[in-house]
Amino acid sequence: MIDLCLTGFLCFYLALGSRRPFLWVLAYLYVDIVAPQIISWGILTRIPTSLIFFTAAFLGWLLFDDKRDARFTGRQFLLFLLLIYCGYTTLTADWPVEAAEKWSWVWKALVFAIFLPLTLRTRLRIEAVILVMVLSASAIIIDGGIKTLGGGGGYGELRFFVDNNTGLYEGSIISCVAIAIIPLILWLAKHGTVFPPDWRVWAFAAGLIFACALIPVGTQARTGLICLGILCVLYLRTAKRRVLIVSLMAAAAMIAIPFLPASYTKRMGTIENNQSDQSASTRIAVWKWTLGYVRDHPFGGGFEAYMSNTLRFETVHTVTTGSTTTVERQVIQDGGRAFHSSYFEMLGEQGFPGFGLWLTLQLSGIVQMELLRRRWRKRTGTDEQWQAPLAVSLQLAHVIYMFGSLFVGIAFQPFVLMLIGVQCGLWSYLKRTDTRVSVKIAQRRAATVQGMAQTT
Amino acid sequence: MVDAFALAVAHGLLVLAAIRLVMRDDLDDDHPKPRGPLGGRRAGKNPGQDERP
Repeated sequence: MIDLCLTGFLCFYLALGSRRPFLWVLAYLYVDIVAPQIISWGILTRIPTSLIFFTAAFLGWLLFDDKRDARFTGRQFLLFLLLIYCGYTTLTADWPVEAAEKWSWVWKALVFAIFLPLTLRTRLRIEAVILVMVLSASAIIIDGGIKTLGGGGGYGELRFFVDNNTGLYEGSIISCVAIAIIPLILWLAKHGTVFPPDWRVWAFAAGLIFACALIPVGTQARTGLICLGILCVLYLRTAKRRVLIVSLMAAAAMIAIPFLPASYTKRMGTIENNQSDQSASTRIAVWKWTLGYVRDHPFGGGFEAYMSNTLRFETVHTVTTGSTTTVERQVIQDGGRAFHSSYFEMLGEQGFPGFGLWLTLQLSGIVQMELLRRRWRKRTGTDEQWQAPLAVSLQLAHVIYMFGSLFVGIAFQPFVLMLIGVQCGLWSYLKRTDTRVSVKIAQRRAATVQGMAQTT
Repeated sequence: MVDAFALAVAHGLLVLAAIRLVMRDDLDDDHPKPRGPLGGRRAGKNPGQDERP
């Protein structure tokens, strides 16, 4: 039944796209986020769904869309350079077969992130992309949220639709993404035009935000808790009623803590006391190994270079019985452990040049969104109220991702590359449509022409 | 049951969003020309409105 519904849903989007080809772009976003071919067990598993919608989205734009407003921004050029560089490191990779496997999805995510801004010509398209990204992720988040409420969580045990650990179905990744989209949900609820703000929209938004906050509890991923804390602090920077928001956050935390499962509070305790936790100790050992590796291989070892590592580290357990405290040290030997951090993933796999490109791409996004916020926040026109809040939401989502990716290897996570695509699209759109900027450019041009006329 | 509910809510909203988007002229143009009596676009410009921003 689910299989038939998913197939019908995709056919529906495919059919509507024949009237408005932009819907194929939205359908590709959905396919890449939800991956219905993983949930399904029928026809969708046998056809290349992702490839079909990627081709439809690209051909739809190429053949039918108006390309006069398409601009290639600096950050798209950075994405292009990163794509070329990753292609080069794949050819010279330490583990060619494994590297080729990762490259097979990374190049698609990068190409789509370069392509997406070209299609974002109108305000409604920018909103539609964010809406589809949020609603697609909401399928997984609502599922995880309800299961967590029902007590079905646990580290590596929360199951979303299927027993799969790829893409957004991995606990730490969905925890980071669920928290990162909270600012976007709020923006859609306040400024959305597809679903204009009313009590139903706010009720759904509140429920979805609650489900997002439950995901780190359900997955027991420490990354999610750190992301949630950072979101709360960052949100206060631009919020208007700070005292009220702080009070609400404190009240929510006080109500929630007694209901948290003991396994969750125990696991979150290891954030502080990471010496006793093997998972945390492995990460630190891998990161040390990566720093040594990149000194010997400054251009990186290609995708999946972590497979070369062999690790030896100690875990320290402290057991207190009465007045006696016993310290137990255990030496653990391990190998082929993943980077567990996007920064070290980029350093190890792509070396210093790839890491530099990637970091510039991330930081420039935060700077661009800050510039947009400052440019638009004091405007008073009726059609000038959505821009600054959207820039803030995208910036917050990006900062949360950058903190979350300290502990998870999600440097090329397609969802985040889509967010970067939206940022590029918004930057380009506002630059083009901002009448004040246009007037300034026209004045500068006129002054230059006048100056040249006077000199001649 | 939970899986079916989560899928139904998200996909139901995605279907509704697609229908609303298809019906909106500003999906492809921020300042669309007004529709004619039979639903077609008029050849002229919208009075008092520039064709492009």
